Amino acid sequence: DIYQIIHYSFCIWTIRNLRKCKKCQILAPCSQGSCLHTTAQLNTKNWDRKNRIVYPPQQKDEPPRPAEVFHCRRQIKYSKDKMWYLAKLIKGMSIDQALAQLEFSDKKGAIAIKEVLLEAQEMAVKNHNVEFKSNLYVAESFSGKGKYLKRIRYHGRGMFGIMDKVHCHYFVKLVEGTPPVVVQKTPFDQAKEYVEQLRSRTIIHSL
Amino acid sequence: MAASMCRTLRIFNQPAGPGLKCVASLLEVQLAQPVVIPVRTKKRYFIPPSVSIKSRSLEEQEAAVRAAGVVARQQYIERPINISCTAGIVDPYIPPEGDARLSTLSKEGLKQRTEQLRQSAASQLAFRKIKDHDSEFSSKGFAVKAQEIFIEAHAALTEFNKEKLHSLVTERCYPEMVRGNRYKTLHWRFIESLEPPRVVHARCPDMVSKGNMYGQVTVRMHSRQTLAIYDRFGRLMLGDEEEPRDVLEYLVMERHLINPYGCWRLHGKIVPAWAPPKDPIIKTVMIPGPKLKPEEEFESLNYEVPNPEAVQWHK
Repeated sequence: DIYQIIHYSFCIWTIRNLRKCKKCQILAPCSQGSCLHTTAQLNTKNWDRKNRIVYPPQQKDEPPRPAEVFHCRRQIKYSKDKMWYLAKLIKGMSIDQALAQLEFSDKKGAIAIKEVLLEAQEMAVKNHNVEFKSNLYVAESFSGKGKYLKRIRYHGRGMFGIMDKVHCHYFVKLVEGTPPVVVQKTPFDQAKEYVEQLRSRTIIHSL
Repeated sequence: MAASMCRTLRIFNQPAGPGLKCVASLLEVQLAQPVVIPVRTKKRYFIPPSVSIKSRSLEEQEAAVRAAGVVARQQYIERPINISCTAGIVDPYIPPEGDARLSTLSKEGLKQRTEQLRQSAASQLAFRKIKDHDSEFSSKGFAVKAQEIFIEAHAALTEFNKEKLHSLVTERCYPEMVRGNRYKTLHWRFIESLEPPRVVHARCPDMVSKGNMYGQVTVRMHSRQTLAIYDRFGRLMLGDEEEPRDVLEYLVMERHLINPYGCWRLHGKIVPAWAPPKDPIIKTVMIPGPKLKPEEEFESLNYEVPNPEAVQWHK
């Protein structure tokens, strides 16, 4: 069977290169094509691909779909945990407000995020048919771990530690329109809901 | 390791004395506490060489790289050239002003008609040269074929069928048709032809060497078409799905005559100088304005948006 031959030669190749194909170890080897790998490489740069999806034309009675622009920057020399604070700060803000906050923030990551936002705004107007550049708001904004470089940190008594030179990625999604108003739930409202939930219980098998 | 500058800055930013607004006034006003500014005193044993180097010019940089023994690979400055089509329209046809505006029955219309019917000598010569290479060519039948190629090419553009489009359209015309349309949806419909298409102009330029002949024929067609362009999100950018428009177009078809497998393909369009301006797109666009000095105001400048000149151009 052709699949058996392919899989067998693939297994030999992997063994020779001292890498174990995990599926082989778990499942029974050389069963009918079930061990065949389909993805050879792991492509994780999905955020850039989100800008390429094309929606079909809308009918006249449908409400207009708001434009969405995805942008990211990879391998920024900053910690992902420190970047998270800035990302959480601007989440949900309009783009002008976000740019203002970042301009006067003391953190190092604010410079990078501001550049990313400006690039995304320009891209939106030029390529994605966004009408007004101020009519955008930050729908999603988060940071992720980048590839770390490892260095040696010398301690006393001949001891050493491995120092990580941290890098992070920053992702942002801008959506056209005014930012949605987030209704803050007060503790009183939550308590009221809880009481109503208790009151709406039905007691079964009772008189 | 140097201490961070925070301690130094905290001294300057103290709201110590009254009226202390900026750093310069620190020197004049008497502060409450004695000022202790931390200073770096530890000697650096290793100073990287790049610190002492001043900026180098290009020749000095190259000399340093050569002295270090680093060999840069030879740079091949190459540009690919396409020989299956020409790069432009040779001796473009200049459409007479008022074409398709005057009715054929009036006196001016008849005069225009007689002028147009009498083809110029260069076009007749070009037709003869084309018939030498392509025996099936006839100026009457060719116009209908050209319109069919035009309709098929635009239908392929609507579906983004690249292979079919490459066979119907030359390599020079393809990027102009396709640029900017990758993430857009096009809806185009050819409703009817108002006048039968006519061949108006022909030229046979030689490219590079004498025998390498290409044929370029201009076809005039007056038709009714519908166009609607939707952006990435399905919103209407330009045009209308249901509104047909009367379109007068001058298409240029080209063929590489020497090549026995060459075929007639759409090479470009000629837009005359008197063509009506196109419709604006639905969204508002910002045009960069003049640079203002701090004391000027935009309203007082009486700035007029510059309009492009009405010149014939070919696409």
